[in-house]
Amino acid sequence: MDTAITTQLEQTPQQAQATLANPALIIEKPIEIVIILPTQAYFISGIRDFTLHMTQNLTGFSEKWAFRFQAIVDELCNNAIEHGSAPGKDIKIKFLSEKGISLAVSVEDTGTSKEKMTAAQLTELLKTRKQMMTGQYLGFRGRGLPKIIAEWTDELVFEDVDGGGIRVKIKKYLRKEEDTVSSVGTTNHIVLK
Amino acid sequence: MTAVQITFEDVANMPGGKVVKIVHIVGQLDESNVDEEAKKIYSLIEAGPQGLNIIFDFSALEYMNSKSIGYLTDWYSKISAMGGKVVIAMARENILDILQVVGLTQLINAFPSIEEAKLAIMQ
Repeated sequence: MDTAITTQLEQTPQQAQATLANPALIIEKPIEIVIILPTQAYFISGIRDFTLHMTQNLTGFSEKWAFRFQAIVDELCNNAIEHGSAPGKDIKIKFLSEKGISLAVSVEDTGTSKEKMTAAQLTELLKTRKQMMTGQYLGFRGRGLPKIIAEWTDELVFEDVDGGGIRVKIKKYLRKEEDTVSSVGTTNHIVLK
Repeated sequence: MTAVQITFEDVANMPGGKVVKIVHIVGQLDESNVDEEAKKIYSLIEAGPQGLNIIFDFSALEYMNSKSIGYLTDWYSKISAMGGKVVIAMARENILDILQVVGLTQLINAFPSIEEAKLAIMQ
């Protein structure tokens, strides 16, 4: 597993605004973590553990959200392995934590799988699956993207990557009330680039 | 492969002679193990009588992914078709949270204890 950790030096406008609104809030520099994994489900439990502890320790999100990010990242990685990168290839996972503000995650595949999709196809698939699950859904597969990923994030972006892969980016903003109040089912967002 | 252990327990002396089994799942159900582990529960269902009831003891279940939720839905459908009930007992908050976001708690009732789960099956 290759891991690179970098920090950015400049404060973002959101951080500056948060500092002004609450001077007692200690804003730390954004932390970017990049992990490259082989396409084997075996490695994903380690990524789940990492996501859980990283969210609890570096982001300001509650334990409830740490578990939610754990599930989101697991589903993103499984999709990238199953539909994006062929056996023997890699997937790239990037975390960007702005403590007290947001956590963004992107998962990128190589587009070498037989079941390769484009960003546009993935957007259509999500739309279809959301419609499929408006009532009581008894099907076997298809809950990860429309329910776990889409409902627990504020932004969901699909991008075609040079070379044929897909990059799925999610972002969740930290809001105080979300530590105690469930916010599921309140977002509806797709951006296609 | 992620560690998980699935064991079965018979519940004795259920009123009306109801057949109830408790499925204890310890560990994590994920992409690396769920297909293999699910076979054990399908075998239990196939070997069971009409009207078999199952209590899933999730007290030691640490994680379940969307595929394992798909299996749970399928087990529910099969047991229901055989005239039985499926309930969940003692699930941790993160497990209830994920079951709730996918809508499964509208389908399968969850209880804080095994005793309450047994009562629900008796009704």
